[in-house]
Amino acid sequence: MTLVLRWGLPAAVVVACVGYLIYSASGGATEYYLTVSELRASSPPGVVRVAGVVQDDVRKSDALHVSFTEKDGSASMPVEYAGTLPDIFKPGITVVVEGNLGADGVFHARTLLAKCPSRFSTQPYTQ
Amino acid sequence: MMLGYLGAGALLAALVMGGFSALLSFWAGARENATFVQVGRRGFYAGSAFAFLSAVILEIALLTHDFSLAYVAEHTDLSTPIALVAAAFYGGQEGSLLYWTVILGLLGSASLIASARLGGRVAAYAAGILASILTFFLFVLAVVASPFDLLSVTPPDGLGLNPILRDGGMLIHPPVVLAGFASFAIPFSFAGAALLAGRVDAAWITHTRRFALLAWSLQTAGLLLGMWWAYHVLGWGGYWGWDPVENVALMPWLATTAYLHSSQVQERRGRLRLWNFGLVIVAFLLVVFGTFIVRSGVVPSVHTFAISAIGPWFLGFLFVCVVFSALLLTFRSNLGAGRAPAPAVSREGAFVLQNLLLLGVVAVVMWGTVLPLVSGMLGAQRVAGAPFYERAAGPLLAVILALLAAGPLLPWRPAGRPTLLALRWPAAAAVLSLLLLLIGGVRSLPALVAFPLAAAAGATVVTEYARAALRKPRSILRRRRHYGAYLAHLGLVVTVVGVAASHFGQQEKDVTLTPGESVTVAGYTLTFTGSEQRQLLDHTELVAGMRFGDRTLEPSRATYAGLGGQALTHVAISTTLSADVYVVLAGTNPDGSATFRVFVNPLVTWIWAGGAVIILGVVLGNVGERSPVTELARRRVPVTLPA
Repeated sequence: MTLVLRWGLPAAVVVACVGYLIYSASGGATEYYLTVSELRASSPPGVVRVAGVVQDDVRKSDALHVSFTEKDGSASMPVEYAGTLPDIFKPGITVVVEGNLGADGVFHARTLLAKCPSRFSTQPYTQ
Repeated sequence: MMLGYLGAGALLAALVMGGFSALLSFWAGARENATFVQVGRRGFYAGSAFAFLSAVILEIALLTHDFSLAYVAEHTDLSTPIALVAAAFYGGQEGSLLYWTVILGLLGSASLIASARLGGRVAAYAAGILASILTFFLFVLAVVASPFDLLSVTPPDGLGLNPILRDGGMLIHPPVVLAGFASFAIPFSFAGAALLAGRVDAAWITHTRRFALLAWSLQTAGLLLGMWWAYHVLGWGGYWGWDPVENVALMPWLATTAYLHSSQVQERRGRLRLWNFGLVIVAFLLVVFGTFIVRSGVVPSVHTFAISAIGPWFLGFLFVCVVFSALLLTFRSNLGAGRAPAPAVSREGAFVLQNLLLLGVVAVVMWGTVLPLVSGMLGAQRVAGAPFYERAAGPLLAVILALLAAGPLLPWRPAGRPTLLALRWPAAAAVLSLLLLLIGGVRSLPALVAFPLAAAAGATVVTEYARAALRKPRSILRRRRHYGAYLAHLGLVVTVVGVAASHFGQQEKDVTLTPGESVTVAGYTLTFTGSEQRQLLDHTELVAGMRFGDRTLEPSRATYAGLGGQALTHVAISTTLSADVYVVLAGTNPDGSATFRVFVNPLVTWIWAGGAVIILGVVLGNVGERSPVTELARRRVPVTLPA
């Protein structure tokens, strides 16, 4: 009994704390990860991440402001982003934008991540 | 062409030897047949040697530009600098697996040579488990992801290495990380072997601890080098992004950190035996799990570095390892029975609490890593960004930092008045630094917690050194492991201060400047002097000049025409003792102006310096120290120490 009290109780307290921390952070500090069509279908509030392919209409007003259309199989959305662009950013690549969909229908991204090429080389030879 | 066949042949020979060694070692161990135990062990050496030979062949193929091999053609070209051609060995999926296998063979062989004294059965089973793991990797290499696949038509030139990898960091970061990953298999094998043989004495812990320490050191270096690379090459101003690739490297490190501490309880008090087995096993399972996560592409990652057919194989391997470990721990749970429990407020209590907290951090990181997978199965996919990890792991890390300050001062026996007295120095350091921060205008709660705790932990180490130096200076040399560990603690404190300062104190500014204009960020003034285009061997570079004091920083953007116009940003960093000035060139405009993102990152240098001190502490504390087992063998005492 003393063993349980002396070690089990503190251990249970630690485990409970860890569980609570994970639970509370999961609720408030995680984001939805959606495709463009999923965003169009559900439009959850708050900050979300949306993956899609950059279309040909990339417009740079200056080196730090860019707007383009992001599209997946069926849906598309206009994106505006202010910040440095990843080196491999260009039409045709898949990007993940993080931000929120404004009332104007434009997605305002605060971060833009490019998916690295799936290999650490350019294109594999087809064998 | 020839090299391809030779390499594939060597791999196949290694596979056969590995399988042979695994079967024979288990059989000979069970029969306690000393001769066949030795044959099994030699089978492992032979398998490792063949794996090494195939690695040499791949390296020759790379260096001689043998583009008949798909791997060579896909990862190098004729214009790639020779050092990077050599490094392409581990730059791709297949090559990195081969590198991993070779390291496993080399370290495994070293550990088996050193283990001959552990007693027949443990050594035999360890060889069997190591050989099984080696065989799995060789099977994947030979059948699923062979680096020796041939192209039907040999191209005149290869595709070249991705520009992001054309960097000096590429030469050291991946091999260290992969070696770290590979080395976790060794403590695991000896833990499994001891459990199989039913031996849980101190000789096991001494042997395992050394290889766990090696794995831990390699992983420490690998993590820090990865952070260094991300910081210097990727150009987003940070060094840690909580990406799955980083997370899976962190988790086994955390579990092994826990083991290195709790193993002392077993050494000193004979308790926590089963717990220690569990930690060593969990560290290895986390490595296998991480490899599966990273290389199968089941969770979204920025890296996603080689989605391939090996994912299901690693999942199967993970499943086998989990079942094997769970069965072992269940059937040997009777070995855990120790003596009466220790007082809660003692060194042992601190170790146990630290262990639980470290595993708590592992749980947080694990949940954040698999959240996209789990939530995707249940409904809308969710991802965890930095805020999740900071909120969930931050409080746990703060308590661990507090333990770093208090733990070393607690005695093994119940803590009394003298202990409370000993805590006055770290407490004073914490209060003093808290006051300084408040006077300095710091109001962020996490910063007000982190810095005083780090100051307290630093004060603890200094107190311990001062006490030893004043009373008996020679004890520092005699108890090398003890004081080496404190040096590693000090290094960790330095790293923590660097992380906290750069995390809480980073400032950034986006700015467009015409030549002659200046910008001031956090008191540092930079003047744009103009930009120019430079033509280099295989790429063009747009270079901007930024005058900073008497220095000129040159952030640039390189464009590789040969690689479809792919661009690569080169960050310019000026390091001062108190902060890094970090300049990224976002682009130039038609009117001659240029746009920059300027970061001021306080104390980043401390992170790298602290890492060096950690490694120094481990090396000074352990290299060349005679292990108790060899010591006893030298004195002709039976190695089975009382548990």
